[in-house]
Amino acid sequence: MGEDTDTRKINHSFLRDHSYVTEADIISTVEFNHTGELLATGDKGGRVVIFQREPESKNAPHSQGEYDVYSTFQSHEPEFDYLKSLEIEEKINKIKWLPQQNAAHSLLSTNDKTIKLWKITERDKRPEGYNLKDEEGKLKDLSTVTSLQVPVLKPMDLMVEVSPRRVFANGHTYHINSISVNSDCETYMSADDLRINLWHLAITDRSFNIVDIKPANMEDLTEVITASEFHPHHCNLFVYSSSKGSLRLCDMRAAALCDKHSKLFEEPEDPSNRSFFSEIISSVSDVKFSHSGRYMLTRDYLTVKVWDLNMEARPIETYQVHDYLRSKLCSLYENDCIFDKFECAWNGSDSVIMTGAYNNFFRMFDRNTKRDVTLEASRESSKPRAVLKPRRVCVGGKRRRDDISVDSLDFTKKILHTAWHPAENIIAIAATNNLYIFQDKVNSDMH
Amino acid sequence: MPFSRELPNPGIESRSPALQADSLPSEPPRKPVYPFGRYMLGKGGKRKFDEHEDGLEGKIVSPSDGPSKVSYTLQRQTIFNISLMKLYNHRPLTEPSLQKTVLINNMLRRIQEELKQEGSLRPAFPASAPPAAAADPLGSSSREAPPAFSQPAPAPCELGGAAALEACLTPASLLEDDDPDTFCTSSPAAPARLAPPALLPPEKDSFSSALDEIEELCPTSTSTEAAEADGPKGDSSSGGPGAPQRPEGLQEGGRPEDPKLMDSLPGNFEITASTGFLTDLTLDDILFADIDTSMYDFDPCTSASGTASKMSPVSADDLLKTLAPYSSQPVAPSQPFKMDLTELDHIMEVLVGS
Repeated sequence: MGEDTDTRKINHSFLRDHSYVTEADIISTVEFNHTGELLATGDKGGRVVIFQREPESKNAPHSQGEYDVYSTFQSHEPEFDYLKSLEIEEKINKIKWLPQQNAAHSLLSTNDKTIKLWKITERDKRPEGYNLKDEEGKLKDLSTVTSLQVPVLKPMDLMVEVSPRRVFANGHTYHINSISVNSDCETYMSADDLRINLWHLAITDRSFNIVDIKPANMEDLTEVITASEFHPHHCNLFVYSSSKGSLRLCDMRAAALCDKHSKLFEEPEDPSNRSFFSEIISSVSDVKFSHSGRYMLTRDYLTVKVWDLNMEARPIETYQVHDYLRSKLCSLYENDCIFDKFECAWNGSDSVIMTGAYNNFFRMFDRNTKRDVTLEASRESSKPRAVLKPRRVCVGGKRRRDDISVDSLDFTKKILHTAWHPAENIIAIAATNNLYIFQDKVNSDMH
Repeated sequence: MPFSRELPNPGIESRSPALQADSLPSEPPRKPVYPFGRYMLGKGGKRKFDEHEDGLEGKIVSPSDGPSKVSYTLQRQTIFNISLMKLYNHRPLTEPSLQKTVLINNMLRRIQEELKQEGSLRPAFPASAPPAAAADPLGSSSREAPPAFSQPAPAPCELGGAAALEACLTPASLLEDDDPDTFCTSSPAAPARLAPPALLPPEKDSFSSALDEIEELCPTSTSTEAAEADGPKGDSSSGGPGAPQRPEGLQEGGRPEDPKLMDSLPGNFEITASTGFLTDLTLDDILFADIDTSMYDFDPCTSASGTASKMSPVSADDLLKTLAPYSSQPVAPSQPFKMDLTELDHIMEVLVGS
């Protein structure tokens, strides 16, 4: 599968100096739009960069269009919370595209506190020949106007304009970890550590609280919301995951406040793997509905799991992402890596799942063949159009050539954010400040 | 405060003296590079953690750690220390991740629960004492203690029922814990002294010996009463005089009726503090001399972060008692994060071993 992918890399060099990575350049989210034509990334500096797929070129008929920078804008600025005397980071936590309604594209971007709706429009024509205004828009001297003319649209260089349409502020006391647009295309929800709010896309001054797990006494707090998503087809259903490893499916038809879940998905703890870190590593860092809406994909620290909406007792599939780290949990706790929030993604047909790991590795699991592969996203190993080689992490004494030992993994190079094109085998991988886009070789065996 | 009362954790409390004991001597003063939260623990507390970190890092829990009890308790202790570090070592400018805080808290609670259960079956203290403590004289002395205190203590918690022996041994620590707020905040109505030995200045050895002498001059009745009040924190006298009765103190600390005792402490103790010792002029001088240096030590650290400056003249035991009020003040950076304060509260109780 993945080993036959053609590789290409787009990095943000137009903005950034690669010799040293500044914190602001670290990519914090990656998201394809619904057609896959556009790809948006957000970074810790509050910027959003949108890539657009170029039309197929005549010179290389077999190659599909590459993604080039389409637009860049500053979505969020650092702020200061004067009541708490704390900085509010500008880091973009999530980006979600709205279904396209007209020629314009829209997306939601959020930092810890504030969600913004952006409209991205193209302009390639401009009107010329006004009667009362000249080319610069200044009023003409009326004495010079001797005849009436009809203004005409003339072509001009393509301009991409990004404008803020709505700012949804003051809805969250805690840090927003997820936003999700509803299938009704009118509402969306935003989840922070303790609450989930439902917003109408057109209304910024009020939201409805649909989940609130804040205990009356914060000292009793033992669990937080880690991620949340709407069902892709049923606008009344949504799921949220918790730091204790459970998933709660809620039905908004049942009550206005969905504190009582409809279904609780939870796997009993395996006593043989019990350790001090059991709870931390079971904390769900991401949850994604399959495109079909039948399954849910969750990522915890060591595994990725597929759940059937019809079976609550345990996941139907569990894949080990990097089980060799199980013996290193104490060190990973000490250096805080154990709190890394890896995301996960489905391919377009829900047959392959993908998630990130350390050392710039990412993993793919074929659900049908049960094959899995580890690939590496790095500047050194991936020249444009090169084919990715599978990587192996060796655990025991036997070490084959090109294997990398567990002890030499670089834990500062982590792939937390990945995205899969909604229909094709194109994946976007965020590795610190680099964005890698890989695609299937033509006629590949990916499926 | 209610939180800390709810968790009078025998296991942890009983073992904290070991931590404190082995941390006090020979730890060079640190530069105030740590965020304000650390300092609220008192500098002794801070040193303690550092030392453990330093000592244990490297040999932390290799995967080969078998099921052996020693490695398990070592790992537990390491994790416990790391957890404490994490809770108070975040960047002060941005709000810490609630998820992380909650997970770390759960970890601490779990370890506490475990220690508590072990403590109810047998003294958890010796087993869970980190090997690093062995290098230290005080640590080892407390490790030798188990045989003595594994015997059920004869109801040491009852006020007025304390042994005379204990009585004449504790005042030193009592005074030491006592003086900072008496002199610096001049609040005679200071609440119960729950100060951990962690607060004691490093030069306490000479100080406590001086106090020993003074103690002989003091009326026995007062010192007895003080000692009784001081009973549950007898362990806190990590200095010379406290050593023999430490085991008892530990046992007491671990007793479930501890919270009640704490509640009954303040008034009782108040009298001894204000009338008994502090009217003594000679003592005043000595205390002043010593306090000055310790406060000097303490001040720069706390005043480094603006909010702490108003607390700086207050000893940590005062903080322990007054945290709740502080939390309502808008100046505290972590104020909206009520969690922080209550947890701090809780941690302090753990440290104090009250």
